[in-house]
Order: sequence, then C-alpha cells, then structure tokens
Amino acid sequence: MLGGYISDLDTGDVFEPVEYTLTAFMCSEYAHGTEEQSEFFHSAHNPAGRQLRPPTMIHADKMLLLEKNCLKEQRISGMKGPDARVHYEYHAKQHSAAYVGETLVVTGRIVEKYVKRNRPYLWYYMEVHTKDGRLVTTYNDRTLLRYRPEGVAA
Amino acid sequence: MSTKRTFSVGEELAGPVRGITNERIEWYDSAMLSACMNELRQVGSNIHTDEAFARQEGFSGINADGMIMTNWCSEMLVREFGLDYIERGELRTKFIKPVNFNVLLHVKARVKEANRSASGGMEYVLDVWCEDEHGTKLVDGDAKVAAAA
Repeated sequence: MLGGYISDLDTGDVFEPVEYTLTAFMCSEYAHGTEEQSEFFHSAHNPAGRQLRPPTMIHADKMLLLEKNCLKEQRISGMKGPDARVHYEYHAKQHSAAYVGETLVVTGRIVEKYVKRNRPYLWYYMEVHTKDGRLVTTYNDRTLLRYRPEGVAA
Repeated sequence: MSTKRTFSVGEELAGPVRGITNERIEWYDSAMLSACMNELRQVGSNIHTDEAFARQEGFSGINADGMIMTNWCSEMLVREFGLDYIERGELRTKFIKPVNFNVLLHVKARVKEANRSASGGMEYVLDVWCEDEHGTKLVDGDAKVAAAA
C-alpha cells in the first residue's frame, strides 16, 4: 500500500514516478560523499566532455521514490518508521550515462514482499530514463524491513 | 590498434583500503540527502549515526551504510574501466554482515571471465567483494563490463 510506512508496501505496488533535473551539485556532492575523485563526476574535464551522474546514484533515486510514496516515513525529511530498514542487496545495470542538465524520470514497483529466516524483505525494481526516453539504469534492490527477527524484543 | 588495458582471467584488482569512521559514515549519509534535495543537508539519527538507536534495533553498535562499500567498489570499476563501466557496466553487492565502526576495509575484485565480443571488444565478469583486515568477507558481489574495442 502506498502512502503509509515503507513496511506497508506490498507485492505489486507501483510507485508514483519522480522527475528531476540532474545538477552539477547533485553529482559532485554524491561523489564527494564517498571520496570518489574521478573527474567524470565533478566537471566536464573528462573523456566524456560532460559531467556525469555517478552510476550508484540510483540509491538516491530510491530515497526520492520512497519520499513521494511513503508519506508516514519520509526518510529524507528525517521521519522514522516502526523499525530501521537495512539495505541487503544493490544490483544496478547501466544502459547509458546520464549528464548534468538532463531531466530524469524514476519509476519503480515492488516485485515481492517476502519473509526469509523470520525477517521481512522488500524487493524493489526501478528504472531511470531521461525525459526523452533513453534508458539510463535498471535496478533491483532488496531491503530488510526489520533487522531483529520476529519475536525478539528491542 | 586499441591501447586499452586488457584483463586476464584470475587477475586481481585492488580498490580502496579505508577505515570505517564516524566521519565517513556521516559524509555518505549527508551527501546522499544533499544529492536528493539539491542542497546541503545534514544526516540525523539513524542506525549508522546513533549508537543507542542501532542497539535498540538489534545491532551491536553503529554500522556503515552498505552504499558506502558499494560506492568504493564502483570507484574501483570507474578507475579500471572508465566510461565502459559508467555507460554499460553492472554491479551487484550483497551486504552479508554488518560493517562496524573502525573496521579497515579492503575492496577487491577478481576477473572470472574475459571473452572477446563480436564487435572486437572484451566482455568481463568479475567477482567483487570487501573484506576486513583479517580477510573476513563483509560484502559480496559481482560485476560485468563490456569494454568497447
């Protein structure tokens, strides 16, 4: 169910898309935060001749989708849900580079909500396209909704 | 003739060797929020920054956001494969154990397959992982890169 906590999301939920224009600040700041010094992400002085978005920024897109679709647990705004969420798997495939100044559209859905070893998981699938339709990234993500197994008190 | 470096099956690649510090955890979490909002933001309390909250959630203490390690793996691939990775690469990471404060992390990869493509480039499959200073694997994964001729 959209509109609630992240743990309210369920198999088949389709997110309302997010659209934004990629800025130099976004790319450089994200790269800076991980000590990535490659000039690809900090300026146009690189073999591509334009500043690029770090391939891993799909994780920021996931946060934007959740911010728009889980109104009781807007993590970017500092809200917390009933349990901390723990990222378990990142799997991104790049189909083209995204350049500063391009408008990006992020779509996504919940492939499956499931329980493994008494712990609940969400499997997200996301795509990022440029507004004119070029595929940039496809992404599968598995997140643990609660680290403590069922029945173990805090 | 291409001047690109080629890689052989079994060859090991070495990425960053970095300690997990409070500062690095804060840098990533704040930068991720800043990138989302297109303005400088500061991370608040979460399992990566707040010891009491992390313990309440069942962890032994604060632990690094898995995306820090994923980004360090990606950094290694950017350095080795450049645009071929950025435009056509694939990276998967699994956070198989919590990465706790003060661990010295080694980012590594090994070429598993190296095949000539029909277009004359190379298609690589790599095992990618992060281990601590004792050789214990904390993040496991793999990558694929189609290197143009």
